[in-house]
Amino acid sequence: MGKFFLLAVLFSPFCLLESQAEDENNAKVSGNANSVVFKENTLLPLLLELASEDNEKKADVVSRLAQTGEPRLEKFFELYRQGSVYNWPDAEGNPRIVVNEETVMDDDFNEFAPLLDPLSGQPFLVAGKQAKPDLLDLVDISPDRKLRKLVNASKFLIRLFSPDYETRISGVKKTGDPPFLEDALPTLKEIAEDSSEDEKVRWTARESIALIGFGKSSSNLEETESRLVFLEELAELNSLRALARLDSFKTDISELAQSGNLSVSDYDGFSGRISKVESSLADHRDSVELSGNLFRGLSYGSVLILIALGLAVTFGLMGVINMAHGELVMIGAYATYEVQRIFGHSADNAEDHYYLVALPVAFLASALVGLLMEQFVVRHLYNRPLESLLATWGVGYILIQVVRLRYGDNIGVNAPTWARGGFEITQDVVLPYARLYLLALSATCVAFLYFIIRKTKMGVLIRATMQNRDMAQSLGVRTRNVDRFTFAIGSGIAGVAGYGWTIVGGVTPDMGSKLFIVDSFLVVVTGGVGELVGVVCSGLGIGVLTKLIEPMEFGDFTIGPVWGKVILLAVIVAFIQFRPAGLFAPKGRLADRK
Amino acid sequence: MNPQFDKLVGSKRAFFALLLFTFVVMPVMYSAEMITVGQINMIGRYMCFAILALGLDLLWGYVGILSLCQFTFFCLGGYAMGMHLAHHGGPEGIIDGNGWKIPACLFVVYPYDVGESSGDALVPGFWKPFWNLPLTVALGLLIPGLASFVLGYFVFRSRVRGVYFAILTQAIAVASWLVFCRNDVKLCGTNGLVRFDVIAPAESLTTFNPVDAKDKWIESHEGSLDQDLNKDGKLDQLDYSIADVGFSLSSDEVRFGLYLITAACLFGAFLLCRWVVNSRLGRVLLAIRDDESTLCFFGYKPYVYKIFAFSLAGILAGLAGMLYVPQMQIITPSNMEAYRSLLVVVWVAVGGRGTLAGAVLGALVVNLLYNYFTSQHDFYFFSWNPDYWQILLGLMFVLVVLYLPNGLIGLLDKVRGSIGLLLRRNSS
Amino acid sequence: MTQSLEKERSSSGDVGSVSYLDGYREYLPSQVNHEAWSSRFVLFVENLSVSFDGFKAVDIPCYGVGHGELRVIIGPNGAGKTTFCDLVSGKTRPSAGQVFFDGKEITTMDESEIALRGIGRKFQTPTVFDSLTTYENLLLALPGNQGWKDNLFRAESKAESANIQEILEKVSLADHRDKLAKSLSHGQRQWLAISALIIAKPKLLLVDEPAAGLTDSETEKTAELLLELSKEHTLVVIEHDMEFVRRLGSTVTVLNEGKVLAEGSMGEMERNEEVMEAYLGR
Repeated sequence: MGKFFLLAVLFSPFCLLESQAEDENNAKVSGNANSVVFKENTLLPLLLELASEDNEKKADVVSRLAQTGEPRLEKFFELYRQGSVYNWPDAEGNPRIVVNEETVMDDDFNEFAPLLDPLSGQPFLVAGKQAKPDLLDLVDISPDRKLRKLVNASKFLIRLFSPDYETRISGVKKTGDPPFLEDALPTLKEIAEDSSEDEKVRWTARESIALIGFGKSSSNLEETESRLVFLEELAELNSLRALARLDSFKTDISELAQSGNLSVSDYDGFSGRISKVESSLADHRDSVELSGNLFRGLSYGSVLILIALGLAVTFGLMGVINMAHGELVMIGAYATYEVQRIFGHSADNAEDHYYLVALPVAFLASALVGLLMEQFVVRHLYNRPLESLLATWGVGYILIQVVRLRYGDNIGVNAPTWARGGFEITQDVVLPYARLYLLALSATCVAFLYFIIRKTKMGVLIRATMQNRDMAQSLGVRTRNVDRFTFAIGSGIAGVAGYGWTIVGGVTPDMGSKLFIVDSFLVVVTGGVGELVGVVCSGLGIGVLTKLIEPMEFGDFTIGPVWGKVILLAVIVAFIQFRPAGLFAPKGRLADRK
Repeated sequence: MNPQFDKLVGSKRAFFALLLFTFVVMPVMYSAEMITVGQINMIGRYMCFAILALGLDLLWGYVGILSLCQFTFFCLGGYAMGMHLAHHGGPEGIIDGNGWKIPACLFVVYPYDVGESSGDALVPGFWKPFWNLPLTVALGLLIPGLASFVLGYFVFRSRVRGVYFAILTQAIAVASWLVFCRNDVKLCGTNGLVRFDVIAPAESLTTFNPVDAKDKWIESHEGSLDQDLNKDGKLDQLDYSIADVGFSLSSDEVRFGLYLITAACLFGAFLLCRWVVNSRLGRVLLAIRDDESTLCFFGYKPYVYKIFAFSLAGILAGLAGMLYVPQMQIITPSNMEAYRSLLVVVWVAVGGRGTLAGAVLGALVVNLLYNYFTSQHDFYFFSWNPDYWQILLGLMFVLVVLYLPNGLIGLLDKVRGSIGLLLRRNSS
Repeated sequence: MTQSLEKERSSSGDVGSVSYLDGYREYLPSQVNHEAWSSRFVLFVENLSVSFDGFKAVDIPCYGVGHGELRVIIGPNGAGKTTFCDLVSGKTRPSAGQVFFDGKEITTMDESEIALRGIGRKFQTPTVFDSLTTYENLLLALPGNQGWKDNLFRAESKAESANIQEILEKVSLADHRDKLAKSLSHGQRQWLAISALIIAKPKLLLVDEPAAGLTDSETEKTAELLLELSKEHTLVVIEHDMEFVRRLGSTVTVLNEGKVLAEGSMGEMERNEEVMEAYLGR
């Protein structure tokens, strides 16, 4: 068991790396908390000024409110626009801004208005009770027509000022969607030129400005010309959103040409320029899709490798077909879930360090189950691969049902907060952090396994035992212990695979047999038994191939995952015709060894 | 594995006893109302599984190749019969532009192309041969046979063997399951084929499409057409299903008849397999299991024999599927899931690998246990939860593989041997 | 032979020269005359080589076995003896070169086709089918019944079973006719494997270490059997046991590191320094 301590030590540098990332995240969260408190103090006085009679002052207040970027104001503006916001002066005549959406009537037909707090939307409390004054006590401060338009625009503008990056960028993005918000243009321009702003936000602002310009309808030559200039700017920006809008522009100008508002030569010129834009944008889209698919392939491949790695140990080194391997993966995932539960991590409660603890726990849990399996079942079946296949399948079947009885059919493992979102390497190509983490995890596992097998004494013992058991035994190697250890390592790595899987996919009792087992065996078979390099190559190969095949289209038929799998299988069967023993097959006398 | 294991059921006396039990005792018990038609039906279905198990035993027990996609071939046969039954299914469904009735199960999940409406649904071309019953039966044997032949040809020729073959066949099982689950292959998706009505209506024996069937019907009723049509409104029915003659699947007699047919097929399949394994070819199969590469140096091409065994097993699986569907009255892709094919291995392993009687015994015993243990039972000290069945099954499997390599037949043989020994000792 | 070897050495100054080629001069690859060799040799290889991961296990420019000959191949461990058999019998595909048998090229054929052409092979360990009886083992070896239809629809003829019975009596296994092969002793299995070979009536027999693991009396009996066989068949015997080889008293080929080192009678080989060096190590 001391060996597992060694494992923990081996994993620790890896863990350190993770904890740094986590610290940064914590910093971000606490920063946000401060700004909330700060806003509460500035917002309320501003709100009170809405009680003023002066329309210009009110307009000023509205735009200042919008610039705070406070998300709760979005709802407030909507209420204000509808006229549900009132001034309810207190006994001294000081204004109080309150919200009233519906009234209640008492038996005498007096209308009372239960009040809500303008910011929180909670009941407006006076002396611990919801204030419910007579409707007549409320002063209507509804905006006039002009102001109402401003308020409406501000509703969207708020987002542009939000201190939260995600909100801000989504706000900036939204302004470029129909109905195009021209009121946002000045702000967008400011953002686009603000050198302290994030590069991505500035780029999006430029894109939205151009989209707004491009989105206007056109009725004559000049307007069309200006739209086209915007379009060309969008082409330079490689804006994929413009691509979706091209068709409507094309119908617009062809209508203009038909109605005679556009001369034939102008129309032809425009069409030429449009098709140029279109092809440049389509090129960009294709390259984005290709790199996206490649990455998805790599990431799928990394999952396959992670799962096949444990098999490469139990199947490749020991010759045991462990059909319960998928269930060991499942156990790793459930161990992760248990750790999450103990730490009280949930989608809102960022107890991210649970994820660090879960790694060794998942490894140990699966290794332990593997150890028990080895002791009670597999031990008796070395050198009888078909029987070991069947017996381990039986074990897997039991494991599935036991877990199902204990946990039910579906549980949720929440990804740690840092695993949300992604990293944009080039424009429009986003690599989700969770997937990147899986890539790193499987690379680490490959390195770890390589290290164990090639560089440690234990590795020498493992290889010696697997190549010539009798000889190793007579040299004093305790082959039973070597078997146990090897099987536990293979099982433990399966647990790590399950642990990694929790941040990208669902966790069910039959996830192992449904999702992984066949694919990962195909990886091992294709790679050649007993070769780490083979597993890595065939894992990545199968992963990338799958993701490249799936989106292919022939006419109106898209291949998709199911036919993709069928095609992949056909490719593997064809491949086996030429290399029955896999990519990296042993040759000569070694090949006869079974 | 050894010839003596087969003696228990292989002996003529035991065989005839079983024959007597199946065809005389059971019908008598049924007519005396000691067993219900539901139970008869259940045993009939389990006999289908026994046919399936015979095929696998031929492969795994005699040739030593473990196929994990036998249920896929079973479903190929089952779907063939299912399509036939759906063609002649109940009055639901609509008539398409070619005068074919779109079966209800297909109609509800019909994959329309963009811009198509419900009026554009057509009976797919590959459904049409299954209108005719003899053709259906032929295709139901031919398709799984051909599928297994082609698969075997590619796989065995490239000398894929042992666990590689097992894994590959499992992958094939998974892939075909995924394909059959899709609506756009027009096999009714995950719902499967349902809403059957009659089996073997007269028109399905002689005609190949509903238009001919309708003409023929009118022709044969020429004299009395007017009254006939006016009286019982058969004119409307003509478009759907003539249902003039045909055996309703829900009637007790038909269900009992299906049991008898299945039992006959089981005995037939058993005799066929016995003939094969007792022929010189059976010796070659055993030799392949023992040492395939040596056999090559005797001038044999082992892959030819493997393809033969695999195709035969595929055909048996198809036969089992065809018998199963009218008794179960539904066939869904869930039968193709990977674990189903592993179940067949469980049956054979529990019964006794390498003995044909063991395969049959295993399939019946395990399924009867399944039937018993998937309902609630209160024992003296604890109450049995149906959810425990899978644990029991897994446990049974592990224990059989570890401690009972010759299965129940081996166990019975041992018991018989020791009783015999005891008797001899006492007498001497 | 020894003198010519000396001559070769002194003239070329090349110690490891391919002196055995003297016997094949007229059949050297550059001048291969197919008619000439097929009239003289039943088995002939040309530039045959195979390598595993860069290691050349067998590399023979030219070598042949005459019609009706009894040839023994000896050599230290790892000399490529078994690999040579594998190449001839089709178990391993050569990396380069050709194998001719009975006037036809068999390089690309698979094991069963080669076996049907008339090369029988006996492996180092006795290869019998454990789940079959002694009789059934020989039944499968009968020539001319290797197709699946024959096996399914035709039982053995009276003549065939008489033939089997005759051979069983010859190797004194008649009493074990209906016993499973797995219950036989090692020596009995060895004979069963050899009888299976004989019954197939091959033109050429490749026998790999027939004396390994046998008692003295069994070894003696095996030698007698092989000698008797050599009257009717061409035999290539691979052997380790020098005593046994001497007993056979035939032409010997010495393989070392995948190459043919020398060829001649056993007496000549024992006087050959190079051969002795290869056996005893340097």
